[in-house]
Amino acid sequence: MADWDELKEALADYTRSCNNNERLRKMQRDWSRVLHFVCSDSDVTFSMHVDRGEILSTPEGREGVPDIVVTTTSETFCDMFWGDLNPVQKYLRGEITVKGSQEDVMRLDAISYVIWPDS
Amino acid sequence: MSTETTLRRSVGTAAATATSAGLAFAAIDYLGVVSILAYAPGATAAFAILVGGLIVVLVSAIFSELNGLYPSAAGIRLYLGRAVGNRTALSVTFTDMTTVILVIAADAFLIGAAVRHVLHEPSALAYVWIVVLLGVALAANLRGVRMASWVQTIVTYTVLVGTSVLSIIAIVHVGGAFRQPFNIFGSGSFSGIQAIAFALFLYAAFEWVTTTAEEARRPQVITRALFIAPVLIWIVSTLFALALAHLVPYGALHHSATPQLLLGTRALGTVGEMWMLALTVLTALNTFNGGFLVASRFMYAAARENNLPRPFAKLNMNAVPWVAVTSLTVVSAIVAALVFATGQWLMLVSVGAAIECAIYAIGSLCVVRLRARVTSDRPFRMVFAKPLASFGVVLFSALFLATAFADPKDSRRFSVVPFLIIAVLGFFATLYVALVVPRLERAAAARNAERRPTRRPPRPGTGPDEPVAGRVDELP
Repeated sequence: MADWDELKEALADYTRSCNNNERLRKMQRDWSRVLHFVCSDSDVTFSMHVDRGEILSTPEGREGVPDIVVTTTSETFCDMFWGDLNPVQKYLRGEITVKGSQEDVMRLDAISYVIWPDS
Repeated sequence: MSTETTLRRSVGTAAATATSAGLAFAAIDYLGVVSILAYAPGATAAFAILVGGLIVVLVSAIFSELNGLYPSAAGIRLYLGRAVGNRTALSVTFTDMTTVILVIAADAFLIGAAVRHVLHEPSALAYVWIVVLLGVALAANLRGVRMASWVQTIVTYTVLVGTSVLSIIAIVHVGGAFRQPFNIFGSGSFSGIQAIAFALFLYAAFEWVTTTAEEARRPQVITRALFIAPVLIWIVSTLFALALAHLVPYGALHHSATPQLLLGTRALGTVGEMWMLALTVLTALNTFNGGFLVASRFMYAAARENNLPRPFAKLNMNAVPWVAVTSLTVVSAIVAALVFATGQWLMLVSVGAAIECAIYAIGSLCVVRLRARVTSDRPFRMVFAKPLASFGVVLFSALFLATAFADPKDSRRFSVVPFLIIAVLGFFATLYVALVVPRLERAAAARNAERRPTRRPPRPGTGPDEPVAGRVDELP
């Protein structure tokens, strides 16, 4: 089980990778969302505020009204934010569950695909 | 952990019902009624649609239970995978997705034919209209244009109410003298069964609303939509069938790709014709919006899962899987042109109806198997699930055979063409899953072996090579 410090480190790297990727920023230019992440194996929850493709913050806890809620284990979140797993495979196996529109679910995976094309 | 958070934008019962009814009620349904009339003449068509609707209640219960277990856009893959294995699930899903292409192609053809008919253009211009319509749909999809949920809801209810009102006006012309109300086996030994199977086609695809389960305000929203939408379709289809059967001679319907325009003209002259043309074009908004979205996102996910070649996951600058969307458009245009060239538009109804019956049989089988394997709680539980779902397997298999061997124009004849088309589709889907998918998976595994090292830093006290569950390198 990963703790909040590990998740924070993974999120920091993910935020850098996303915000420094010009192609992704252009692709997500019309995408402003609030995301909630829920660890199914611990009490940890965290949020992500995205404004026109830029990740503004990733605070602990549930902040704001979400557009998307993602639930999985803390280990899966860590691997996902480090780009070490393919989120779609986990999603299609039912190991990652998402609440949100189909379009947003695809956009979320597209982020991983664009910043880590080999994932 | 609880995930019962309210989303900023979520789908309620009215919108989910509109989605379900909108997915089911496409332009091809007007032709579906003609196929029913071939087997159940006059007012008997209404009886067949009623029986079909009662059977659909079973389908609603089956998909409510499955959706409750796996409330996800990937639901069909999940419950099929758990019930019959991943390979079979893939083959079935690929075959099922061909119905999306059939419906898109059918709508492109039917709307092209309708516009050409109203403008009194030469028949060859239907090809131009097909290309124009699909071109516009392609451009809108590539630009990431989506119909807002409320627009989709208004469009669906406009189509349903508009068709009903015109049908009622047409029925008033008849004056209540309905002919042959219960002539259920009057067109051949199996005509009643085949009429009911074709009636099921009118409701087909209503269950695709389960792909929006992740947007639903509560799990019960999808269940309600699954039970309410068929009632709406039943009312509209019954009114349309009664009006058509009594105002337009079957001989005129038999050779027409635009029965709704014939009805409109008979009921209200040019105004009625334009009325039905407008509704036909509106149905395309739902088909092109929902159909392209469902099929292209499925292809994207399949490519990301290494079950389709990687180019299908390529995204354009609007985050749209452009290879998937373009391929869908090209294949739909080819199918639509083939249908137009051969004049076999009612064959689309037979093939679509048979595939849907097969999907319902497989859905029933999933309930039987998952009742034994998955004991977790679910928001909807069928009563008498095992006997009813087992009955569903037998019933929908029989209806599959009834439509797969039916000649959609002539109840006195059998045709193997629909069955052959489905067999070829299923054969290639199975062959692809058996031969190509393992290669794609091996290629993905080889890529992962050569890829960059794992980025996640090792935990203090653990080795750098310690495996972490769920990594990409665990691919088969």
